[in-house]
Amino acid sequence: MAGAATAVVALTAGLTACGGDSLEDDKGSDGGGKGKVVVGSARFTEQKVLAELYAGVLRDAGYDASVKTVQNREVYEPELKKGSIDVAPEYAATLTEFLNLKKNGADAKPVASSDLDATYGQLTKLADGRGLKALPAGEAVDQNAFAVTEDYAEEHKLKTLSDLGKSGEKVRIAAGDECETRPFCAPGLKKKYGIDVSGIDPKGVGTTQSKQAVKNGTDQLVLTTTTDATLKNFGLVILEDDKKLQNADNILPVVNEKSAGDKKIAAALAKVTKTLTTDDLIELNRKVDAEREKEADVAKEYLESKGLIKK
Amino acid sequence: MSKRDCLVANDWICGEYVRSRSQELIDATVEHVAITASSVAIGVAVALPLALLARRWRFLAAPILGVTTVLYSIPSLAMFSLLLPFFGLSASLVVTGLVLYSLTILVRNILAGLQAVPDEAREAAKGMGYGPLRLLWEVELPLALPALLAGVRITTVSTVALTTVGAIVDYGGLGTLILDGLDTQFKAQVLTASALCVALAIAADLLLLALQRLLTPWTRAHRIRPGRFARKAGAANSVAKVAEPV
Repeated sequence: MAGAATAVVALTAGLTACGGDSLEDDKGSDGGGKGKVVVGSARFTEQKVLAELYAGVLRDAGYDASVKTVQNREVYEPELKKGSIDVAPEYAATLTEFLNLKKNGADAKPVASSDLDATYGQLTKLADGRGLKALPAGEAVDQNAFAVTEDYAEEHKLKTLSDLGKSGEKVRIAAGDECETRPFCAPGLKKKYGIDVSGIDPKGVGTTQSKQAVKNGTDQLVLTTTTDATLKNFGLVILEDDKKLQNADNILPVVNEKSAGDKKIAAALAKVTKTLTTDDLIELNRKVDAEREKEADVAKEYLESKGLIKK
Repeated sequence: MSKRDCLVANDWICGEYVRSRSQELIDATVEHVAITASSVAIGVAVALPLALLARRWRFLAAPILGVTTVLYSIPSLAMFSLLLPFFGLSASLVVTGLVLYSLTILVRNILAGLQAVPDEAREAAKGMGYGPLRLLWEVELPLALPALLAGVRITTVSTVALTTVGAIVDYGGLGTLILDGLDTQFKAQVLTASALCVALAIAADLLLLALQRLLTPWTRAHRIRPGRFARKAGAANSVAKVAEPV
């Protein structure tokens, strides 16, 4: 019996030892030298691809970069502030509002806008207070967008949302419930573009059902995002937001000022920012979501094809 | 390109998926096992003293059982989020959460096992000059072992399942793959990772069952040949019964 008890204890000790060691994770992050850099991301394809792009150029610059994927911004932003995550790909306006609400409470007045420079200015101020540094934003943008079918666009000669307003067509929008009240959605379309919104079909933002509804002609306009890779499959085209209704959600890197404030890191990340376009991003998203390639492979391929990293 | 077909077609079962992501699957499985094993091991190490405390001082039993039960009722998503500020993004965060969850079953089972040790056995050991530590180690714990191991089995299976929630902080073993797959409607990934998760739970349960039989041969001998070992197994018999209803 003593033997049995000893065996249990030995086993328990064994398990603890084996578990303890392999789980011990070393996330020392000394951004000063060419050390470890942790790139954080939320759990969706686009941000994961962006994180892999950042990790790719950082590795090429001699850093030991890894990607950590967590549930959402609510989880990684505090870690970014603490420095256990050093870098994160971000969306200018969304992050600005996130920080704005965090600093000024739930009723804070929105400070992000469709003007990228103004938004970036606000973001820099808000980020500073949290020990973060927002690096300059690039051309690639993931913001709300409205799409119609190609046939519909051709029939009414539509290229922009202004065209749709001028056409006088009544449109039903496939979007989320909140489209009714959000300034960027139905109210903005009416006020800024003079579009005759006859109703909202609450099938969700950019969902398959929403796109299908527009394809079938049940609805005319669908709310989605500029980097939606599946639009082509539904025969949909985005109408240009020519009067800048949408917030400037351009993509930019945010770093922890202490752990990754180094100029070399900023320079490496800038290579991605300067090169990446919205169309590139659509294609990268499509490769992952439709062709089921791995984020890391897609990112590496892209960086190599653009000559941003050595093969 | 044809090799990728079942990936592009998004089939539930896809050999190419298993082939191209074998390393990811192995890594995730290893992480899953490591997190589960350390959680259960630490859980037992924490539950045992708690059960001993609850038995030694009766007035502590109610609060100990109460608190562990309340812990058990916290939703796992909330639990991990609550622990986040203390542990940061680390495996210890997930392990701590899982240990807290394991306590309610483990403490109850160990306590039931210890309480079921027949007074005669205890008295006899005392009469032979056993001190309290030796009594616990050589008489009470072995007799409480079937109940303890029954608790460990339940805990292990539930921990294998709960580990997946760790994906919210990137330490969820196979759960990370399941959640990723769900988000991107990647059927092959969801099914493969889920199947592995179920297989892990079954394998762990069978392994612990084998261990239980190995460590407590008297309960088994009793069941197979009731007549011959009846007297010898008399003491253990009552303990084995405690283990059943849990």
